[in-house]
Amino acid sequence: MVRRLPEYLVIWVPLLLSAAHLISFSIWTIWISFTPSTLIPVSGWVGLRNYNAVLASRNWQIAFDNLLLFGIAFVLLSLITGLLLAILLDQRIRAENVLRTIFLYPLAVSFVVTGTVWSWLLNPSIGIEKLVHDLGWTSFHFDWLVNRDMAIWTIVIAAIWQSSGFAMALFLAGLRSVDADIIRAAQIDGAGPIRTYWRVILPTLWPITITVVVVQLQFAISAFDLVRALTNGGPGIATQLPALVVYDLMFQRNQLGRGAAAAVLMLLILLAVLLPYAAWRYVRRRQAAHA
Amino acid sequence: MPITTTRRRLLAGSAAALALPAFARAQGAVKPRLTAISQWSAGSDGAAITALGKKFEEKGGVWQHSPVPGFTTEMMNKLRAQIIAGDPPACSQLKGPEIAAWSKIAPTVDLDAVVAAAGYEKVVAPDLAKLHKPGGKWIALPLQIYSTNMLFLSKRAMDKAKADKVPVTWADFNDLAEKMKSGGVTYPVANGGTRADDGQKFEASLAGISPAAYRTAIMNLDKKALEGPEIKAAFAQMRKITNWMDPNVGAQPYATNLKRFVDGDMGMMIMGGWAQGVLRNAGFKFDDFVIAPGPSDNGKPVFLLNADAFIFWQRKEADLQAGQMLMAQLVMDPAIQTMYSQITGSIPVRTDVDLSGEGWSDGQRRTAAALKDAVANNQAVLSLAHNMAQENGLTAAMIDVFTEYAKNKTIKPEEAVTRLADAVEGAR
Repeated sequence: MVRRLPEYLVIWVPLLLSAAHLISFSIWTIWISFTPSTLIPVSGWVGLRNYNAVLASRNWQIAFDNLLLFGIAFVLLSLITGLLLAILLDQRIRAENVLRTIFLYPLAVSFVVTGTVWSWLLNPSIGIEKLVHDLGWTSFHFDWLVNRDMAIWTIVIAAIWQSSGFAMALFLAGLRSVDADIIRAAQIDGAGPIRTYWRVILPTLWPITITVVVVQLQFAISAFDLVRALTNGGPGIATQLPALVVYDLMFQRNQLGRGAAAAVLMLLILLAVLLPYAAWRYVRRRQAAHA
Repeated sequence: MPITTTRRRLLAGSAAALALPAFARAQGAVKPRLTAISQWSAGSDGAAITALGKKFEEKGGVWQHSPVPGFTTEMMNKLRAQIIAGDPPACSQLKGPEIAAWSKIAPTVDLDAVVAAAGYEKVVAPDLAKLHKPGGKWIALPLQIYSTNMLFLSKRAMDKAKADKVPVTWADFNDLAEKMKSGGVTYPVANGGTRADDGQKFEASLAGISPAAYRTAIMNLDKKALEGPEIKAAFAQMRKITNWMDPNVGAQPYATNLKRFVDGDMGMMIMGGWAQGVLRNAGFKFDDFVIAPGPSDNGKPVFLLNADAFIFWQRKEADLQAGQMLMAQLVMDPAIQTMYSQITGSIPVRTDVDLSGEGWSDGQRRTAAALKDAVANNQAVLSLAHNMAQENGLTAAMIDVFTEYAKNKTIKPEEAVTRLADAVEGAR
């Protein structure tokens, strides 16, 4: 016991510290969400008034709808793009290392930079649309950034550019870990490459897919910097997302109580994703133990 | 050994530096010092506050200004953090109804004596004075005034439209915009895409249609007035304006388009007087544009007041207290206000400053005259888009409606009226 003390200290002290941090601030935020705090935190009790105000506000409703659309579209598309890139890279091609680095590189760029660069590229009067016009195709139209129905898709595009490399890296690792004997066996049985992928290799990627989905979903739910730099919730309030609403309420509208309520609602959405994931892992581990 | 010597010298030097303030105090004379925060860091705003700091230093003070660039709200976040930490700056930028709101969370300095000594109250517009003495005592001092509904006309666009008359009413404005459009001006209205921009389009429309309705609906939030016919008319006028704007600006600030405005690719700009400073700072000349009061249907100028101010937070340190008094005297000084406004393009808070001399533009003279007229006719109202009429929460809720309306042309004016009333109800 004494001999292993350093190990315990190294693991438990930071773990307890960060857990205390996380839990105490979460509890504090939950408490604030029930108080009438505006400019600075104050004590008091207003029940669910802050929650009702947030849920009834147009900003939150738009943000929630956007979150559903953005979350689903972004996760699915980045999954597909990542998997496709991984399969293509898996073909024992030349310069694989260079290509892999290029695809992974956007992940090293901060979301603010991604958002700013894409906001220039997608802006109709200076970006892609202008380039194509200058090349001679003047009827070309690509104004999603300033079109309130399509603007949310510009965020999807930028987010996929940024993070499909991450999905690719995980999938590639998964593809490489498939037992070569199984693949050879499938080939001997006469399966073509497409059939081999579809029937033999992809089913083994199931656990990786779940991991990618969960990691990307929690990014989608807490997305803030990308949207702020790219559209800042606009045009109008068409691309609001929950994290923007929280920041806006707390630091721009001086309504700390309502901001805290919105933050707690975000936490609930996150839990709705993470709890099933935890349950799924628990069940799997038990199955593995019994097998 | 050379290293030791250097270290020893360094030590001696820093000890002397540490002892310096104590030495000054021992001498009996407190050197006034001011810690200040504001959002003014660059361009004409930055130049103006730096010049103010120089004056402060000339009077023997120590000037410690920490700018927080960006929107006013970001400066406020720093202020909030400092107040919660129990270490507020001696003086900070703050304006409008926020002065009253923030004065409730930390003690402020009573400036009544120094204001009375300067005879300042007589020379400040009454509506403005009220904002700076929330509990009946002066705790903040306005520094400069802008009108948020000045009309900037591009000379080249006017040439294209073959027009030389400055529009007075909204009907004149709409006529001129049509003329510009047919004269080859791509976008008769120059615009930015920020929230404040969209807010300004609405407040200029409503105040120009009826300053009285603006006062009851926007400043006093009278429920009946908020659903009145003037509000609907203002939304209808705003729709016309948005149809003449460049839809591609996204969320860019208005300043991005200043070159296109001067070139005559865009025609008219409804913007605060600060745009003059920005235009001048960007190297454009006074003959490139004309500045006039924003459209007003009754022909008399309407002035949408926006005033920057400093609030003074209580500090125990003798040098900071001396600095606060020195700063208060400087801010009220007509010569300082002249210097400041000439740099930024605003007009002085004092109504007794003579603007006929060198260094003032025609636009500034016109703005000052408009303010005098508007005050006399009770047509000087507080700007909503620039946080003078309501506290931030309410302002933001109302601007949500304006910015959505500006960008979504399927919303009908009558629908916007209901949304505005609902937004006010929800934010209260």
